[in-house]
Amino acid sequence: MTDTAGLERGYRRWVRWYPKAFRHEHEAEILAVLLAGARAGQRRPAPMECVDLLRSALWMRLGPRVPRSNRAAFVAVKLLCVGAVVELAAAITILVTIGDVRSNVVERSPGLTEGEWHAIVAGQLEPVAVAAGIAVGFWLWTAWGIGRGHRWARIAFAGFFTLNTVGLLRGLIQGSAVYARLDLAIGSVLWLVELAAVAQIFHMRLAGSPSGDSRRSCTR
Amino acid sequence: MQEATFLILTALAAGSQHGYGIISDVAQISGGRVRLRAGTLYSALDRLRMDGLIGVDREEIVEGRLRRYYRLTPEGARQLAAEAARFQSNAAAALARLGLAGGMAR
Repeated sequence: MTDTAGLERGYRRWVRWYPKAFRHEHEAEILAVLLAGARAGQRRPAPMECVDLLRSALWMRLGPRVPRSNRAAFVAVKLLCVGAVVELAAAITILVTIGDVRSNVVERSPGLTEGEWHAIVAGQLEPVAVAAGIAVGFWLWTAWGIGRGHRWARIAFAGFFTLNTVGLLRGLIQGSAVYARLDLAIGSVLWLVELAAVAQIFHMRLAGSPSGDSRRSCTR
Repeated sequence: MQEATFLILTALAAGSQHGYGIISDVAQISGGRVRLRAGTLYSALDRLRMDGLIGVDREEIVEGRLRRYYRLTPEGARQLAAEAARFQSNAAAALARLGLAGGMAR
């Protein structure tokens, strides 16, 4: 064991990455463990120790804080992460199926000029692709919020689900959703993931364990 | 249950231990194969506390440094016993099929 002030300062710098509440409770303890495990003569934290502390601290900040016993919340967080991946796939699909959409639009409106087509791409398709990209962030944000037991995340996601359902129904009624079959397929998959996530979120609410279960007790 | 989690719970099965004690015990139990780092250990301890499998037993100050001792909860002991029984059952099946039941080949 070594007791170098410089080494302790070095460890302390990396421990600062942890959330404040966690540091308040565990900083002295972690430092004691790090110093006890240091090699004789070690003067600064080893690179792998820094990586380990950083990874652990980021997980503490971003990872879900839902006990495994709260199955509904646990599954909801996983579904929201899956939704983010599918949403990303949807954004890519919209961009790669622009050709199919064009064929269908030209078939329905044979007199479509190049300028009109560019206006459709700029005014309708590109905004949808950008919105899908933003939605990826939204899925991850609500996953974080629900994983942390925030009530707003449930309300926000329920609103998001309603908007997407209305959008999908409107697209189906107007016929624009079937311009590219792949778009429709991935849109349907996405909607099913949303439905499953909403079901879990409502199950959490009915179970009467909104945020209390997911918050860690400070001391036992 | 992940191997590190299983080993941490096993380290606490015989009695309460502090962080560095758990790291040393896990290394010993695994024959030096698993060497937990402090960040990994405290992420695991935090998760186990949140799941109600371990709790804080007591705190001590040794040479000016804080030592917090963790203990297995009844639920932690139950889950560890269930996981150990599952490993034992799987290992027995594997050994039986290899014709090694009743002991390891020498």
